[in-house]
Amino acid sequence: MTETRDVMEVDVLFVGGGIASLSSALHLSKLIKAHNQKGDGKKLDEVTIAVLEKGFSIGAHGISGAVMAPGPLKELVPDFLEKGAPLEGEVKKESVYLLTKTGKIKSPITPPPLNNHGNYVVSMARLNQWMGGLVEDNGVDLFPEFAGVEVLYEDGRVIGVRTGDKGIDAGGDKKPNYEPGTDLHARVTVLGEGSRGSLTKDVIAHFKLDAGKNPPGFEVGVKEVWQLPEGRIEPGEIIHCMGYPLKSDTFGGGFVYGMKDNLVSVGQLTSLDYSDPFIDPHREFQRFKLHPLVSALLKDGRLIQYGAKTAPVGGYFSVPKLAFPGGVIIGDAANLFNGMKIKGIDLAMRSGMLAAQAIFEGLVADDLSEARLAGYEKAMADSNEMKNLYKVRNFHQAMTRGLYLGLTTVALQYVFGGRVFKNRLPATPDHAHLKKVTEKYGTATPSAEAVGDVKYDKQLTFDKETDVYYSGATHEEAQPSHLKIESFDVCYGPCTEQFQNPCVRFCPAGVYEMTVDEATGKRSLKVNFSNCVHCKTCDVKDPFENIQWVPPEGGGGPKYTVV
Amino acid sequence: MNIAVCVKQVIDTEAEKRLDPATWRLDRNVTCILNPYDEYAVEEALRIKEAHGGEVTAVCMGPQKAEDAVRKSLAMGVDSAVLVVDEALTGSDVQATAYVLAEALKGIQWDLVIFGVRSTDGETGCVPAAVAERLGVPLLSTLAKVEVQGSSVAVHRETEQGYVSYECPLPAVLSVIKGINEPRYPSMKGIMGAKKKPLDVKDASALGLDTAQVGLSGSKTKVLSARIPEPRKAGVKIEDDGTGAQKIVEFLASQKLV
Repeated sequence: MTETRDVMEVDVLFVGGGIASLSSALHLSKLIKAHNQKGDGKKLDEVTIAVLEKGFSIGAHGISGAVMAPGPLKELVPDFLEKGAPLEGEVKKESVYLLTKTGKIKSPITPPPLNNHGNYVVSMARLNQWMGGLVEDNGVDLFPEFAGVEVLYEDGRVIGVRTGDKGIDAGGDKKPNYEPGTDLHARVTVLGEGSRGSLTKDVIAHFKLDAGKNPPGFEVGVKEVWQLPEGRIEPGEIIHCMGYPLKSDTFGGGFVYGMKDNLVSVGQLTSLDYSDPFIDPHREFQRFKLHPLVSALLKDGRLIQYGAKTAPVGGYFSVPKLAFPGGVIIGDAANLFNGMKIKGIDLAMRSGMLAAQAIFEGLVADDLSEARLAGYEKAMADSNEMKNLYKVRNFHQAMTRGLYLGLTTVALQYVFGGRVFKNRLPATPDHAHLKKVTEKYGTATPSAEAVGDVKYDKQLTFDKETDVYYSGATHEEAQPSHLKIESFDVCYGPCTEQFQNPCVRFCPAGVYEMTVDEATGKRSLKVNFSNCVHCKTCDVKDPFENIQWVPPEGGGGPKYTVV
Repeated sequence: MNIAVCVKQVIDTEAEKRLDPATWRLDRNVTCILNPYDEYAVEEALRIKEAHGGEVTAVCMGPQKAEDAVRKSLAMGVDSAVLVVDEALTGSDVQATAYVLAEALKGIQWDLVIFGVRSTDGETGCVPAAVAERLGVPLLSTLAKVEVQGSSVAVHRETEQGYVSYECPLPAVLSVIKGINEPRYPSMKGIMGAKKKPLDVKDASALGLDTAQVGLSGSKTKVLSARIPEPRKAGVKIEDDGTGAQKIVEFLASQKLV
């Protein structure tokens, strides 16, 4: 039986409905409208713009800290306040602490990179949902519940993407409601998939866009939003923490951001270049909440939502070539993220807007060649956001050296505008940093105390299962797992022997579960893919690169609304 | 064979459910979806249409944002839709809702009206019966199989023991259960097409409704109080160290269960 696959033609296709794509689509549609109204030159009639989003709705997979530098938003939507932009609060009060287990040392000044005056606390989910409305009002077609699963290449260029088939059962067979994916053909394909985008990975490899670059580096952020009693924290008040609970050889930090209506965003970032195979980023975050600074704040509060997501912190040298034949890469997908300032929204929006400008000019000139699209890359290089990223170009590589040595390096770098290590500090991929259990602990059976285990009280601290419930994550159960394990022999053999299966710990959603048969000692790995919150940590951190994350059936995953 | 399929927008199964303590109404300011049971009703209507021809019209009562749920049914393949939106309808109970839907149904052509077995928020499952009564046509509820044969319909009605077969002349009102079919996914082309399909938004006056019979004040059901059930307390865990059976018996005895 030959199946018929719909083919749809659009002019500009955005893969991923996050802030980068939404900003880009909005800017592009506005540029086209203004051009047509002005009446100079050829009219751009009926330019079709489509946005694919794998989540249930626009914003459902939007998650970030988040503190946003509002520059690009002010340019893109000058009347953002009148239009009701969901800003939680302007940052007016901020502090930075170095935490010890029960104590805290307050930094007398806010280190300049963390100075956030004039910035806004936002919920990425809320901001994306709002932006989605503006984008749709401008005539862009939004397709939530559709994931791009395959890049379509033809004659050396990307001609679009194929969306995922729906209605395939766990065994790979078609169900009665089988619906084949659509081939979306586009004049320009914009990859705005977010951190560790699966199609972006394919395109980067296909065109060798990372030739001569550092490998990407990631942190995973694990966070919860809590409802607090009246008056605990002001909207826009922010606290950044370093030190406890992370050991000094692991980089990361905790954050507390005050939101509107007595909500608070609390989270912890753990750099995925850690070496300790017993690190569990979800557990580290739970331990962060046990610190008196945080536990006092959350007392009598209530967990509202949970989520986790990687952030691409590899920095300037990990940014791939941004244009390729047939398209461009924007936002987190292109590692456009400032790891030192812990900021990516402004870079994502800026890259989206500059990509839109280049695409618009290409549409007017009827020339969408790679050379034309490369105009985006040049404009990006000239942007303030990119210049700031250049200044901190060696931050991530420096922090890999551990907190204190790293901080010293970083401080010097900052003071001297990045001139101490003028040249690029090298980096190795995150998964290569993991050390063997015996090497790290001197024993194959480190104590729970050495590892840092905690008992979850379900008041302040929660196990992964409970937290996942609060992420709203679900997937159609009758489908093949979207977490592809290349070889189970690797899991039960070298991975067990050397690292004791770190996947069961690094996954913040409890997807990976190892059971050991008491009688035979036989191990078996259960992949609870329905729990997956699409953070991509497994795709990044598996020491054998044995796990590949591919998009599940569209509509699956978390249903974020306030994270 | 023209079919009307009644659909409702409900709050997402995973969304936190909150009741407004002033009105005891559900806070709908969260993620909302097409009532999952209604997807089966839409699918069944489309299958009948595909076999026998005709048109499928979706009928919905709800707030303006219920348009999303209606659009989903259009994207699945429904031909047109009527959405009744009016502030005066807020808080309508089963009877009031049935009155509104029946009046909306009187304005369109149909041989069959199909409902999902119940909504996942109200959970009464009574609206199909009340609508059938108002329309003066037979009701066949909780159906696991529907087959149209000329001017009648043969159905399997699910019971606790199995099913009962019925045959009924048209027109009729049906409600269908989960599992009667596998609802289709809206295709991309379907979604694009749905944007151009007729969606008639009507208010109470356009339907000529008597506003004394609708809304919170027009409803005969009065909610006096409501509360969230206490979370279940952790159970007792008995480790079997050889005396497990003894401990279980003691526990049961202490609870006066043996």
